[in-house]
Amino acid sequence: MKDLLPRKDLLDIEGLTLPEIEHVLANAVPFKQLFQRSVKKVPTLRGKTVLNLFYEPSTRTSTSFEVAANRLSADVTNFTISSSSVVKGESLLDTIETLQAMRSDYVVIRHQAAGVPGIVARHTGASVINAGDGYHAHPTQALLDAMTFREVYPDFAGRKLLIVGDVLHSRVARSTSTLFHKLGIEVAVLGPGSLIPAGRHDFMQRLHTWDEAFDWKPDAVYLLRVQLERQEGQFFPSIGEYHKMYGMNTDRLVRLRQLGAYLMHPGPVNRGVEITDEAMRYEKSLISTQVENGIAVRMAVLHWLQPDTSKD
Amino acid sequence: MSEFPQATTETILDPAAIEEAIAVLADNIAKRHPSDLVALVGIFTRGVVFAQRLGLALAARGLHFPVGTLDTSLYRDDFDQHASELPRLNSSDISFVLDDATVILCDEVIYTGRTIRAALDGLMDYGRPAKIELAVLVDRGHRELPIQPDYTGHIVPTTATQYVKVYFRETDTHDEGVFLLTPA
Amino acid sequence: MKSPQRLYKNGLVARSDSRELLSSDVLVDGDGRIAAVGPHLKADPNTEVIDCTGCVLVPGMFDLHVHAREPGGEHKETLATCAAAALHGGVTGLVLMPDTTPPIDTGHLVKSVQDLADDITGITMLPAGCLTKGRAGTELASFSGMVSRGVPLLTDADRTVPCPAVMRRCLEYARDFDVLVATHGDTPALSRGGAMNEGRTSYSLGLPGNPAISQEIAIDRDLRLAALTGARLHLQQISTAAGARAVSRAKEDGLAISAEVSAHHLVLDETDIGDYQSHAKTDPPLRLAADKKALLARLLDGTIDLIASDHSPHTEFEKSSDFASAPAGFSGLETTVLVLFDQFIKSGRFGWDLLIQKYADAPRALIGLPKVPISVGARAEFFIFDPAARTAVEKSWFRSRSPVNPFIGRDFAGAVRETVVG
Repeated sequence: MKDLLPRKDLLDIEGLTLPEIEHVLANAVPFKQLFQRSVKKVPTLRGKTVLNLFYEPSTRTSTSFEVAANRLSADVTNFTISSSSVVKGESLLDTIETLQAMRSDYVVIRHQAAGVPGIVARHTGASVINAGDGYHAHPTQALLDAMTFREVYPDFAGRKLLIVGDVLHSRVARSTSTLFHKLGIEVAVLGPGSLIPAGRHDFMQRLHTWDEAFDWKPDAVYLLRVQLERQEGQFFPSIGEYHKMYGMNTDRLVRLRQLGAYLMHPGPVNRGVEITDEAMRYEKSLISTQVENGIAVRMAVLHWLQPDTSKD
Repeated sequence: MSEFPQATTETILDPAAIEEAIAVLADNIAKRHPSDLVALVGIFTRGVVFAQRLGLALAARGLHFPVGTLDTSLYRDDFDQHASELPRLNSSDISFVLDDATVILCDEVIYTGRTIRAALDGLMDYGRPAKIELAVLVDRGHRELPIQPDYTGHIVPTTATQYVKVYFRETDTHDEGVFLLTPA
Repeated sequence: MKSPQRLYKNGLVARSDSRELLSSDVLVDGDGRIAAVGPHLKADPNTEVIDCTGCVLVPGMFDLHVHAREPGGEHKETLATCAAAALHGGVTGLVLMPDTTPPIDTGHLVKSVQDLADDITGITMLPAGCLTKGRAGTELASFSGMVSRGVPLLTDADRTVPCPAVMRRCLEYARDFDVLVATHGDTPALSRGGAMNEGRTSYSLGLPGNPAISQEIAIDRDLRLAALTGARLHLQQISTAAGARAVSRAKEDGLAISAEVSAHHLVLDETDIGDYQSHAKTDPPLRLAADKKALLARLLDGTIDLIASDHSPHTEFEKSSDFASAPAGFSGLETTVLVLFDQFIKSGRFGWDLLIQKYADAPRALIGLPKVPISVGARAEFFIFDPAARTAVEKSWFRSRSPVNPFIGRDFAGAVRETVVG
C-alpha cells in the first residue's frame, strides 16, 4: 500500500483518510482471529513499551489497551492520575517531560480536557493514541464500532445508525458518527432537546420520538451512556423520566426485534437508565462483540502507528 | 517488469518447467511420507499458491494433505521491516489440528531464511507439530540464519544485487515464470 | 536645556478629516511641540533630520481597554512593559483596567496607580476605577473618591454586574457624577464553563461553548437600564452582529451609548482556533465569519464608535495548558494597528482617517481628552508607519512581558517604525 503514509498518532477520526480507515479495519480481522488460538500473543511489538496514561478513571478502556498491547508482546505500564492530585497545566507539562525521559514507544492517553492528546503528541516522539479527551474524540471506539457494524452488515454503505442519548457530552457520538458518515452510513440522533446540540454535524439528523425513529428503520440502535458524572447542571428532570422517554425498554425492544435491527452500546451500561436487563440479553445485541473487537482494533492501531524515534 | 525498469531479465523457469519442478517435489515428498499425517502450510503470498499446487500434485499421487495458510508479518524481525511500507495483514488459516502432525512449510523462494524463521515461530503459536519440514520452489542462496529446505525445486545462484521474482497466474498479472533480474 | 529640533522629512501625514495623505514635512521644536507642517521645510544645522520617505505619520492611538496587570500581576505585565508595548504599537495613551490585585475601587487606590503611571514618561496611562467594591457586583464602589481623582471611566472590567438591580443603581448614581460607565457584556449563568463560541466548531472540538446570547442578553439588559437611568454607557468588546444591531437601535432611540470593537474580532473568527490554539482564546470569544463582516460594516457606519485592543497579557506557561483551562485573552497592543493596516488599510477597505477617528479621536473624546492631530502648535504625539516594510510577528518581537498573541508566526505588511511623544 504505497499510497498510505505512516502516521505517528491517532488523535481523532476527522483527520483519517478512507484508505487509512480501511487499512486498520482490515488488519483488525487477522488480529481477531488470533483470539481463537491458545497462544493469543504474537511477538510483533516485543521490546516496545506502551504507557497507559489515564487522567480519568476507566477500567474497561485501559484494560482493553493493556490486553491489546500484551497480545502484541509489548511491555505495558499503567499510570492512572486522579484529578484531585492534578494541578492543571503544571502537571501536564511535567508529565510531558517525564514522558520524554521515559522514551515510551506508545502512549495511550485519556484526559478530561479536549485537545490534551494533541499537546502531548506534539511534544513527544512516542505514538500517541487518544483514548478519550473530554467531549472531543474517542477514535478507537469509533473504529471498533465500525468493525462491529460491518461484520453484521458487509453491505454497510447506505445502512442506518440511530444514536440515542446525550449527544452533547459524548465523544463517542462525535467520533462514531463522523466515522460512520465517512463510510457512507446514515446517522440519526434521538434524545432530550437539552442534550442534542444545534451545532452538531449537519449529517446527524434529529428524530424526536421512538415512533419516528423506528419509522426511519435503523439497522442498528446505538445507546449512549447517560453521563451522570460529567454533567454540570440539570439537563433532564430525572433518571426515571429519561428512562421513560428514551430508555430501551420492553416495548421498544419488541419493535427493535421486529425490525431485525442490532443493539450497540459503548459501555459501561447504566441498567435501568438507557437500557434494561432484558435488552442486555437481546439476541442481536452486539455489546460483547464490541468489547472483543475493541481489543482487535487496538492491536491493529498499535501495529499501524509508527513512533518518531528521532525525537525526544 | 515495471518494478525494476533498469534491469536485465533472464527466465529461469517457464510455466512448464515450474510444473515439472513441482511434480518432482511431489514425488520426493510422497516417497518420504507415504502415509503420515502431513499438512502443507503456505506462507503468504505466493507460498500459498505454491502449497496449493503442491497439494494438487500430491493428490494426483493419492495423498490428500490439507493445505493451510500462514501470514508471517506479525513475526518478522527488524531486519525485515521496511519503514515506509504499511503491511496489510492476511488471515492465517490453519484449521486442522497441528499437534503431532508433520507440517511442510512452503514458500516460493528462500533467501536469507528470516521469513522461514518467522513462519516457524508463527506456526508453533498455533500448536505443537511433531515435525516441521520446508519445501521451496527456488533457493537463491545468501542465508543469514541456519535454515535449509528439505525439498528444493530449483537452485539459482545469485549475487546480492540481483532479484529472483516468481510470478504465478493466480496472483500476478505478469506472465507466469521464475525470473532472475540484474539491475543495470 | 532645550533638545534639538527634529525635522521629519518627506513623510505622508494622515488626518482624521480626509482619506488623502498630505505630503509634508513636520518640524518638532525643542519643547516637543509641532512648530511647522508643510512641504520643503528647511532645517538648520542643529536640527536632527529623520527621513520619512514613503512613511505615513499618524496621530498617536489611544486604547480605552488595556490590562496592564500592575499591581498584583507583574509576572504577566508591568506598567513599564505595557508602556513599551503600547508605544511599539503606535499607541500613545491608554486607560488601565482596574481588575488588578487589589482591584482599584477607591480614590486612594486610583492615586497609587496614577503615581506609578506618572513615573512612566512618553505615554499617557489613566487608571479606571471599579464599578462595584472588589468587582464583586453587589455593592457600589467609592465613586466620589475615584471621580475626584479624575478616573476616565468606571468598569468592573471583564465582569458584568450580574444583578440588574445593582447595575441600575450603579448607573443612577453614576449619572450624577457624569462619569462614563463601561460594561463587559456577559451572562455568567449562560457562559459558565464556555471556552469558545458555542456552535459547530465548539461541537467539533468537543469544547464547552459560550453562546452569543450570553453577551447579547447582557447588552440588551444594560441598554434598557441606560435608557431608564439616562446614564452614559460604553459597551466593551462587541463581538456579534446581533449585539451591534442592538447598539444601532439604541443610538437611533437617542441613548448616550458608545461601543467598541477589537481588531481581533474584525479579523479572526472561531475557526482560527484551529487545533486548540489557546492564544486565540478570548473573552468574548471569537465568533462567526458573518459576525466579523457585520462588525466591520458597523464600524464603518458609525454604530461602533471606537477600536480597543483589550490587551490581556498572560504568561506563556498559563496559556500552555489545555484550551478549556487556559485563561482568555492575549497581548494585543502591539498588533492592533499592524493587523488593521494589513487587513483593511492596505487593501483600501478603509483609510488612515477612519483608523484615526476610531482608535485615536473617538476614545479621547469619549473621556474628555483633546485630540492629538499633527498640526502646528499641538504637542508632537504621532507614530511613523512604513507601509513598504513587513513585520514578522515572532515572540522575540514583542515588548510586552507576555508574548502571547494569535498572530505569532504571521507576517504582516507594514511596520511601526517609531513612536514620537514630545
